[in-house]
Amino acid sequence: MDQIKVFDDKFKDLTSEKVSPVALDGNEDDDLTDCNKKREWQAANPNHHSCSFCRVEFPDIAAQREHYKLDWHRYNLKQNLLNREPVNEEEFNVKLADDLSSISGSDSEKEDVTIESLATAQGKIFLRGGPNGVIFSLYRCLLAEKKVEIEEGNLQKQLHGLRESKKWTILMLGGGHFAGAIFDGEVARIHKTFHCYTVRAGQGGSQSSRDNKNASSAPKSAGASLRRYNETALIQHVGDIIETWKEDLEASSLIFIRAAGPYNKSVLFGGKNPLLERSNPRIRTIPFSTRRATFTEVKRVHSILSTIYCYNSTEDATKQFIKQKSPNHHRSKGKNTSINRAKSRENIQRPLPTEIIYSEEEKIGGLIAEDVEISFTDILQPFEETERRKKRLPKKKEPEKKKGKTKAEKLQEQEIQRKREVRETIRDGNLDKLKNIYKSYEDFDVKLHEALDELGNCALHVSAMHDRLEILSYLLENGANLCSKNNKQQTPYSCSQIKNVRDYFKLYAIEHPDKFNYNKAQIPTPQPSDLSPEELAEKKRLQRKCKRDKEKEKKKEKIVVMKERVEQDRFANLSDREKRALAAERRILSQSGEVISRCFLCGSNIAGKVPFEYMANRFCTIDCLKAHRMKSPLTLS
Amino acid sequence: MALRVQFENNNEIGVFSKLTNSYCLVSIGGSENFYSTFESELSENIPVVHASLAGCRIIGRMCVGNKHGLLVPNSTFDTELQHIRNALPDTVKVQRIEERLSALGNVIACNDYVALVHPELDRETEEIIADVLKVEVFRQTIASNVLVGSYCVLSNQGGLVHPQTSIANQEELSSLLQVPLVAGTVNRGSEVVSAGMVVNDWCAFSGMDTTSTELQVIESIFKLNENAPSSITSSMRASLIESMS
Repeated sequence: MDQIKVFDDKFKDLTSEKVSPVALDGNEDDDLTDCNKKREWQAANPNHHSCSFCRVEFPDIAAQREHYKLDWHRYNLKQNLLNREPVNEEEFNVKLADDLSSISGSDSEKEDVTIESLATAQGKIFLRGGPNGVIFSLYRCLLAEKKVEIEEGNLQKQLHGLRESKKWTILMLGGGHFAGAIFDGEVARIHKTFHCYTVRAGQGGSQSSRDNKNASSAPKSAGASLRRYNETALIQHVGDIIETWKEDLEASSLIFIRAAGPYNKSVLFGGKNPLLERSNPRIRTIPFSTRRATFTEVKRVHSILSTIYCYNSTEDATKQFIKQKSPNHHRSKGKNTSINRAKSRENIQRPLPTEIIYSEEEKIGGLIAEDVEISFTDILQPFEETERRKKRLPKKKEPEKKKGKTKAEKLQEQEIQRKREVRETIRDGNLDKLKNIYKSYEDFDVKLHEALDELGNCALHVSAMHDRLEILSYLLENGANLCSKNNKQQTPYSCSQIKNVRDYFKLYAIEHPDKFNYNKAQIPTPQPSDLSPEELAEKKRLQRKCKRDKEKEKKKEKIVVMKERVEQDRFANLSDREKRALAAERRILSQSGEVISRCFLCGSNIAGKVPFEYMANRFCTIDCLKAHRMKSPLTLS
Repeated sequence: MALRVQFENNNEIGVFSKLTNSYCLVSIGGSENFYSTFESELSENIPVVHASLAGCRIIGRMCVGNKHGLLVPNSTFDTELQHIRNALPDTVKVQRIEERLSALGNVIACNDYVALVHPELDRETEEIIADVLKVEVFRQTIASNVLVGSYCVLSNQGGLVHPQTSIANQEELSSLLQVPLVAGTVNRGSEVVSAGMVVNDWCAFSGMDTTSTELQVIESIFKLNENAPSSITSSMRASLIESMS
């Protein structure tokens, strides 16, 4: 990589002959080789059971079909679409086992940082020229304005202009500093720098921008008025300088400007008679960041702009360019990166400082030290103990836990066992055994109402479900509660469907009218009937009347349905013309009042439904529509 | 039987219709000619249904289906979906799918057993396709084209693919699909075969511009003529492919 200046003769040599822009990524060649490789592979593998994307063969169809469902295949499919080489299976597993996002449907939005994009970001272009086809890079702004496309046609002309006129002007403005110089070749012919106090020391920013922000409350301090005065003075001063340089400015082929912010721009381009025309084609902005406007900075900018890098080959160019630019790129990235707190930090595995490397002499010394018995055993003993403890502790604990568990478990098991026994005795109807069991309990009253299974059924429920009347009477004698409910909120009465049991409960309710709240127990108790036979007869008569009324209503409904059916049949039997007439009649009627719409074919009521329609005729189903179509073939227009 | 039809002076009939072994969808057009051609040919066996999807007539490109089911894009209106459900046989499952690539007909090609899909289709969509259409799904490209649905027509008998599909690629595909494939064109050289024709196991429709040679290739690969003159079509096929590639 060589550096040459724009004003050197070498540059003339480079650009005297044909110059063409260079594409840095040699994609076209790769494409061709890729295609060829694929074709070669296909030619070498005439087997049908193969995947040309992954370049593998299979013994049978099943294996092939399996393969097409792998992520590996999907990845290679994508690679193929991007004109890239496929990866083999091991590579894929190593590289992408944990990152499958690139294969799934959604596109990743990651941008590839190519040299091309880097180059454009840097404002540079690569050209090929000279007798040996040397590749060189230079700032694009030397050749053309930002908006002007660089084409092969006018490239030669632009380069010629660059070679011929060596007079450049550089003007830099910022923070009250002004630096300007007019260069002829590499030497600064005229230059001038000065500084005015215009920037607000504490807060920063120019005084004018502060004033513009809130015009009503512009600061009236001495400093503020000083800065205001200096700002106008700066404009005046710059104007004077440029006025005196006018001839040289006109003669210079390029004018580079650095004026950041609206205030600095207004110095050069603002006012009634602007110092420089915005539309002047010779004006260019400096395409990289600069420091404070001083004469040394102006010289630095000039030397950077006029430097051209030459490379031996495309690869060399890309390599060198990346090397040259990447640290810069990284720095800018580093500034922007913020910590992503949602993600866990990267776990860096550092080696433990256990290994101590001895020199040979030390090693011998170490061996001697190990010969001392005391130290050896000292180290050994505690080590052994800790090891044992570790092993013992869980062993000791485990049986304890087991015992504790088993005690509780055993109790539980016993309880379950007992309950099952009670349930079974009730189911079997073994009253004596049940009596014995209950007598053995100390807390008889509690046990009588305990739930015997996981559904919350107590003894009364169980006996009611199994139709054990003698047990029921025994339980009730001993004070079992008829209002107890199981998990389904059923009382003993409601949980049993057996008529016997229900009758028994009803009888019990009549015999012991005050013992329980039978409403709560859901047992229907007969109301004491003190009606005379006459009243009973009256009641019966009323009931019969009710029945008769109901029957009458049903008959009426039937008649309506029959009428509807007859109507439907009549409609269905009509010819199309009559139907249409009827529909029209209905339509007229519908404007005045209610009417139903009918399917055009079968005549069923389709009011409130979404009808199927063709030729303005409405049908209840697609079948009707089709049937009508088949019946009356359409005359096609 | 292969028939030539036209939709309102347009030959891309695959855009305006969808034909499967258990139903046929035809887009709503100004004239009934298109519809009645389909109906006269098919109505004895399968329902022919007027339909639109999301208010569009390009139903053939918007939806995909086979005898087991029909998938429609998310933009389909409720009323349209209801109408299609009403009109299709009960055995056909109709489902809407949410997919970024909403022209399902362009990104999915299927018969009753296998489906080729766009490599970038969602995984969920892939599962739905497998469930509703009861097919095996393969991500593939045809002649380096991702729009497999546009450049490939499949039936259970055979398939027609983009004319520039290489022989090796064709053989790979046909071993995958288990049906014979042929590279060819429709509508006098149109390479978008799926837009130019629709086919099921016993019937095919293609654009009015389709040449008789193209029709012959279609009839022979989809086994539509009863007594297939295999020697003639095979020799003709070879010469046709040679001239195309």
